[in-house]
Amino acid sequence: MKSVISSLSRLLSSREISSAELTDKYISAIESRNPELNAYVHTTFEEAKKNSAAADKMLKEGGASPLCGIPMTLKDNIATDGLPTTCCSKILQGFKPYYDATVWRKLKACGAVLLGKTNMDEFAMGSTSETSVYGAPSNPRNLQRVTGGSSGGGAAAVCANLAAYALGSDTGGSIRQPAAFCGVVGFKPTYGAVSRYGLIAYGSSLDQIGPITNSVTDAAVVYDAIRGEDEKDMTSCPTEKGKTILTPDVKGLKIGLADEFFDGLDTEIKSAVENAVKKYEKAGAQVMRISIPALKLALPVYYIIACAEASSNLGRYDGIRYGYRAQSYSSVDDMVVKTRTQGFGKEVQKRIMLGTYVLSSGYFDAYYKKACIIRESLRAQLKSAFGTCDVLIAPTAPNTAFVKGYTGGNAIEMYLSDVCTVPVNIGGLPAISLPCGKDKNGLPIGMQIIGDVFEDGKVLSAAYFAEEEKLCELEEVQGGVSL
Amino acid sequence: MAITEKEIKTLARLARLDFDDERCREFSGEFGEIIAFADRINAQVGGATSDIREVGGREIAYGDLRDDEVKESLLNEKVLSNVQSEGGFFPVRRVVK
Amino acid sequence: MKYELVSGFETHVELATATKIFCGCTTAFGGEPNTHCCPVCTGQPGALPVLNKKAVEFAIRAGLATHCEINTVTHLDRKNYCYPDLPKAYQISQFDKPLCEHGYVELESGKKIRILRIHIEEDAGKLVHERGFTLIDYNRGGVPLIEIVSEPDISSPEEAREYVEKLQLIMRYIGVSDCKMQEGSMRCDVNISLRPEGSEKLGTRTEIKNMNSIAHIEKAMRYEYGRQAEILSGGGKVEQATMRFDETTGETSVMRTKEDAQDYRYFPEPDILTVNIPQSEVDRIKNSLPELPLEKLRRYIDVLHLNAQNARLIYKYKAACDWFEEAVAAGASPKNTLNLIVGTVFSRLDTEEDKEKFDVGISGAQAAELIKLLDGGKINATLAQMTLAKMLETGDGVEKFISAEDMRGMDDGELTRLCKEAIAANPQAVADYKAGKEKAIFALYGYLKRATQGKADVQKATEIIKSLI
Repeated sequence: MKSVISSLSRLLSSREISSAELTDKYISAIESRNPELNAYVHTTFEEAKKNSAAADKMLKEGGASPLCGIPMTLKDNIATDGLPTTCCSKILQGFKPYYDATVWRKLKACGAVLLGKTNMDEFAMGSTSETSVYGAPSNPRNLQRVTGGSSGGGAAAVCANLAAYALGSDTGGSIRQPAAFCGVVGFKPTYGAVSRYGLIAYGSSLDQIGPITNSVTDAAVVYDAIRGEDEKDMTSCPTEKGKTILTPDVKGLKIGLADEFFDGLDTEIKSAVENAVKKYEKAGAQVMRISIPALKLALPVYYIIACAEASSNLGRYDGIRYGYRAQSYSSVDDMVVKTRTQGFGKEVQKRIMLGTYVLSSGYFDAYYKKACIIRESLRAQLKSAFGTCDVLIAPTAPNTAFVKGYTGGNAIEMYLSDVCTVPVNIGGLPAISLPCGKDKNGLPIGMQIIGDVFEDGKVLSAAYFAEEEKLCELEEVQGGVSL
Repeated sequence: MAITEKEIKTLARLARLDFDDERCREFSGEFGEIIAFADRINAQVGGATSDIREVGGREIAYGDLRDDEVKESLLNEKVLSNVQSEGGFFPVRRVVK
Repeated sequence: MKYELVSGFETHVELATATKIFCGCTTAFGGEPNTHCCPVCTGQPGALPVLNKKAVEFAIRAGLATHCEINTVTHLDRKNYCYPDLPKAYQISQFDKPLCEHGYVELESGKKIRILRIHIEEDAGKLVHERGFTLIDYNRGGVPLIEIVSEPDISSPEEAREYVEKLQLIMRYIGVSDCKMQEGSMRCDVNISLRPEGSEKLGTRTEIKNMNSIAHIEKAMRYEYGRQAEILSGGGKVEQATMRFDETTGETSVMRTKEDAQDYRYFPEPDILTVNIPQSEVDRIKNSLPELPLEKLRRYIDVLHLNAQNARLIYKYKAACDWFEEAVAAGASPKNTLNLIVGTVFSRLDTEEDKEKFDVGISGAQAAELIKLLDGGKINATLAQMTLAKMLETGDGVEKFISAEDMRGMDDGELTRLCKEAIAANPQAVADYKAGKEKAIFALYGYLKRATQGKADVQKATEIIKSLI
């Protein structure tokens, strides 16, 4: 794994290259490669030039952030003042927020350079980024394959070196799973560690912003820049003071392997993860097999809660204040119904209907309420697991990148691919995905390291071991900016 | 649990989506599968349900709530920047043919 | 068959916080459309609510003032429904854990109207329909409200009036709302059902939405009582429905029936953490509550032995009561103080709002210096009234207007001389008086008052005049 941010930061602070020059390199790379990859859905090159000019000034003055002058990208569901933010949905076509998400405000203050907004599943609902109204991005490692989702565009951009890093959002695996599919690093911090202000909500109690990077080192740098309590988000909380210190020492680290994550798992993926765990063991980590029975129910619990919240969060798209409005209608009510029916894609409508169903009178107790109760017992079981283990290691996904257009045998098969990632969101835990091998088709396999709440540093350090050990080195994708 | 087309229509009305008869028929099978999937939790956990615990599982102390201090509101043009405003209002023409 | 009216109220009261419930925008009434707005209160995607501490405090105050229990661990919920004035398509409200529960409002008769719950929520924006457009203004969107839900304990329009007036008074006393119905800062939904007199079973109810005047509430209740009684006595069944009241016709009509009832799909608001209020904070708020209006009225009548009619005139105005009590604390007699407020001070305050503010230019303590002279018989009531009027006019103290000489009053000889003058100057009044018109004598008082600048003792003058005529 190559630490792009630290390399670029060195070049920039030693003035070997200016941010403006670096930005131009990224812009040309995007212009040449994006038509094929469809990673970016809106480029913001004007903004990037402004940002890089500001960054060069900051670099000259000295004492700049390690992210100063470095070109990056945001997922299309993170609000940027005056710049398109559409959740890759028709219903938000043309929408330009008039305020910045807290994460972008913080990064801008560090001197970050915004190249554009990246592709995603519509409203982050999907596991392949194919529900995007702009069409799916392609996996830079195999163009016939999907990037994963929902932060697929960000993972593709980072993988293809069309951005030094990306911010994604993760409601049920949307940072980690595309990172695994594209062979990069994806980090979902503890719920509340990073402000959600300006992140267009899908499942509010599960959503979390995090970085997609080329390395664990890079992930820690970006995480440090965006984390912390925000007065605009009541669910945010203070995080550790000072920057995250990565230590590759895993001696005595207690690693839990929960049977439920491995039951019936594809053998290639299983052995890739187990081989990685062996390396940890060799270096002195203590591995223990545990059981967390409630994990088996995590998937339906996730879909019930996420869709319930989504059905409410997406009620506001009515054509009145922003975005798409139906062309012809007979009353205001009719306008709203037509706007929503025409503006939302099929998957989004399906999830709104499911969410409406589980909250409606007569079904609330059997679904939503029960899901909340199981969530509590899952949390309790995770808590007791972290009483004995420092981290859990699990596969990121039960499969590698799908062939494009694959929809599964029935309505829920695609949902099953989130089985390893959703428990983390239900628990509000920090987790990182990093490459741990390749399958027979040469596609990357991802491994997850999961920690207890607010043990983000421990998770990053445990992952840093793999980086230092060169656990899995994937070849660099050509055509992007190379150092 | 099977879902009837009538139920789908009721849900669609609540969700403010238009599901005509054809779409209802098309959707009911798929939706049935999803409901069956969600029903797994009922197969596993029976019986009565207790109070819903708080969503984030976290609390805020009363003293940490926001103080009642006025912040400047945004300019009207900014608030209305995503619509064609009408006299400072968000306008919706009631009928458009 | 005779029917008994059974009614419960849902009263929305806008809280007098400086900022909205979930953002820092002002709650000021009016303003150009959409100028008190931000991403939060216009429901922009990605914006998040941040709960205002003052709104919680005011709601607790309201709860304590209506004898409620306070849920010290409370959360907010989303109430999902769609209307263009509701920018998120859900209202943040409270469902299963309201801040306050199980209180009551006492009427003067001693009857208690039980309060089921009081919860906090956000107000919606405003719609204007014109020129083929629906125009939306979100200035009011996000203004904090409490909804006060009563049990169906109200059994007549008169009781309803008193209940609403008492609520209004309580809220004003404790400073949480101005409760101006005409500006919409207090609005009532009225539930009404009928049952045969003596029956315990509740009938099917209808709900009249959004009433914004007490007079209309009484009218609507009378009309709805008549409508339901007619249905029931004809052997029919009242249909559960939401009604509206037409102010011009004075009639109620059905807005929607049970069939199209809303399904609000309440669930806990994930963007707002559960609020934990320490008991010490509840106690602090409780200790800061003023004496409540009905307690005050009873004390004025029963303990201070004030004239009940006058006490009723003043107790509605908290600031006036404070002024009164300041004067009494400074040694003035309650009776004379109250008489002067009702007779002299109130006559200078034209509007309800003026009386509410009671911004009269002098303090109760300053007035007490004057009233004490009256109490001690050093000056008479007329001079006290006239002097108070001058003090209110100028803001000056009593020493400016009353000298030691004034306090001696007037000797009998001088008074008799003036009475003679008065009789001579008012022959018609004297004739009328002789003809049996008792009130004609007032014309003579007027003359004396002018001639003596109020120093004449009216009682003594009456005796003299009567003896002279």
